[in-house]
Amino acid sequence: MTDAAVTVERLQKTLGKKEVLHGISFIAGKGEIFGLLGPNGAGKTTTLRLICTLLAPDAGSINVLGFDTRTAPSEVRRRVGVVTAEIGVYPRLTARENIAYFARLSEVIDGDVRPRVEAVLDRLDMREFAGQRAESLSSGQKQKVAIARAIVHDPAVLMFDEPTSNLDVLASKEIRDFMVESKNRGKSVIFSTHVLHDAERLCDRVTIIHEGRVVATGSTAEVRGAHRDLEQSFLNLVQVS
Amino acid sequence: MRAAWIVYRKELVEILRDRRTLIAIGFSALATPIVLSIVTQVSTRTATQVYTLGYTGTIPTGLDLLLTSTGLKLERVDDPAAAAKRQVDLAVAFLPGEIDEYYDPTRQSAQIADVRLQVILGNYNAAKAAAALHAKGVDPAILTPLKVVPHPLSSPAAAAQNTFLSFFLPYILITMILTGGFSAALDSSAGERERKTLESLLLTPAPRSRVLLGKIAAVTTISLVAAIAAIASMFIALSQVSLPSEAGISSHLAINPVAVPVMVMVALLIAVSFSSVTLALGTLARTFRQGQAYVTPLYFITIFPASIILFIPDFNPGLAYYLIPILNAVLVLREAIVHNAVDWAALGVTTFSLVATGLISWLAALRLFTREALLTRS
Repeated sequence: MTDAAVTVERLQKTLGKKEVLHGISFIAGKGEIFGLLGPNGAGKTTTLRLICTLLAPDAGSINVLGFDTRTAPSEVRRRVGVVTAEIGVYPRLTARENIAYFARLSEVIDGDVRPRVEAVLDRLDMREFAGQRAESLSSGQKQKVAIARAIVHDPAVLMFDEPTSNLDVLASKEIRDFMVESKNRGKSVIFSTHVLHDAERLCDRVTIIHEGRVVATGSTAEVRGAHRDLEQSFLNLVQVS
Repeated sequence: MRAAWIVYRKELVEILRDRRTLIAIGFSALATPIVLSIVTQVSTRTATQVYTLGYTGTIPTGLDLLLTSTGLKLERVDDPAAAAKRQVDLAVAFLPGEIDEYYDPTRQSAQIADVRLQVILGNYNAAKAAAALHAKGVDPAILTPLKVVPHPLSSPAAAAQNTFLSFFLPYILITMILTGGFSAALDSSAGERERKTLESLLLTPAPRSRVLLGKIAAVTTISLVAAIAAIASMFIALSQVSLPSEAGISSHLAINPVAVPVMVMVALLIAVSFSSVTLALGTLARTFRQGQAYVTPLYFITIFPASIILFIPDFNPGLAYYLIPILNAVLVLREAIVHNAVDWAALGVTTFSLVATGLISWLAALRLFTREALLTRS
């Protein structure tokens, strides 16, 4: 494995009365696509929210590119971009305005906002609808806006939380291609999904979480082991655990 | 403060593209002149309306002229009691040395006609008594042993103008501030959760206190714009109404110079503090609709006591009353309009109360805005 981009150690979190994470640990390396896998309710989204400092851990620690999420949350946020399944955009702003707003809030200096936004529009092939209000965009176009605002400040770590769950086949493929492209640009990509087939195609290494516990971790090939695919491996692991 | 400015600008752009907010501001600008026009027309019509007076018997000499010249149309009826129910506004039976009056107090027209009749009969009786005394060589002044000589400290026109402004101005100002920013505040708070943009916003390095500050500033701006639109349209409408003055020269309604800075200060304080209150409540809500359910009762709770006070012109409360938000604003504003003076102690307590309300709400909103439940509950 390459150097660590994100290190999670013995992470525990309780939400309300439910203990969601029971001391999970894993490392996502620099320049790789790391899969955080598991069924719905396994604790994947909570883990990602802890990494990006939206939530605070009850116990354990998270380190992102040398910064602890407890002691340096702003430094972590500057280095992380997150794309979620819920494509929330500001409906009365145009696609371009949505992206520029997040660029400014992410501390891109004023003179750089426009070139950065235009570069992202080109990279994601968004020129055609950049001037349209977000309320008139399709789901796929909105997802592109969501990706654009997550990468406009050029973060070193990108996290995707079930990014294809609301998209059609073509839009999903574009997201997968984008993750690969980001990896090729040297970014660290954390891909959270319950679609094990997607993970198997894209991820260099994976960690499988079940009921808030890590049940397997390693390279995709290692976790698959002797099974036909990751899904079979996962089913086997869940039965054992 | 850069983050607050960025949020402020973005919120303003979004608000100004929101049809709901634009309709609210446009409505506030249009509603005031329309309401004033209706009030003026109704008042004028009430004052000049001719009411029907049914009668039986013989009308005393000269009284018929007095009645008809005061807007009471005479109509002979068979049964005054029955006629007073529907056929006429008021009915009387002229009997020797007595007038029996029949009217239904539940009818407003009957009440107005009754007032007119009483005034005319009072004058008629006084004139008759004076004539009788004069005929007997007695000075009629004996009927008024204590003559009242009025010395009004302001002109009747100015008094009427102040009374009118002290009633409408605080009500319009406060109502428009509260309702003008209503939609914007909920869209800016509950709306973030409803359209799933909150998580992305909180993921940025911008401090949450600055984000909140930007939102409050935007809502405050819109509240003030709505209030200014309403007040400006009110004065434009009033400028079309001429008021008679003592010298016979007509004048227009104008606010006194002391009231202007007080109005600006009170408007600013209310807008800031209630933007914070509405944002705090909106942050509790998961949807715009839920936010409406939280904020609407607040509107009625705050505006109700203020509205009641408007109907009690001589209400002189102690300083403790000035601790009650909104009510205090109405009282301070009314004092400035009616008396052309500032009660500094009352203004101080009002300022303290509104600033404290805003500060507490801002802290509450910030606390809510930084709670993990804000994300996990949605």
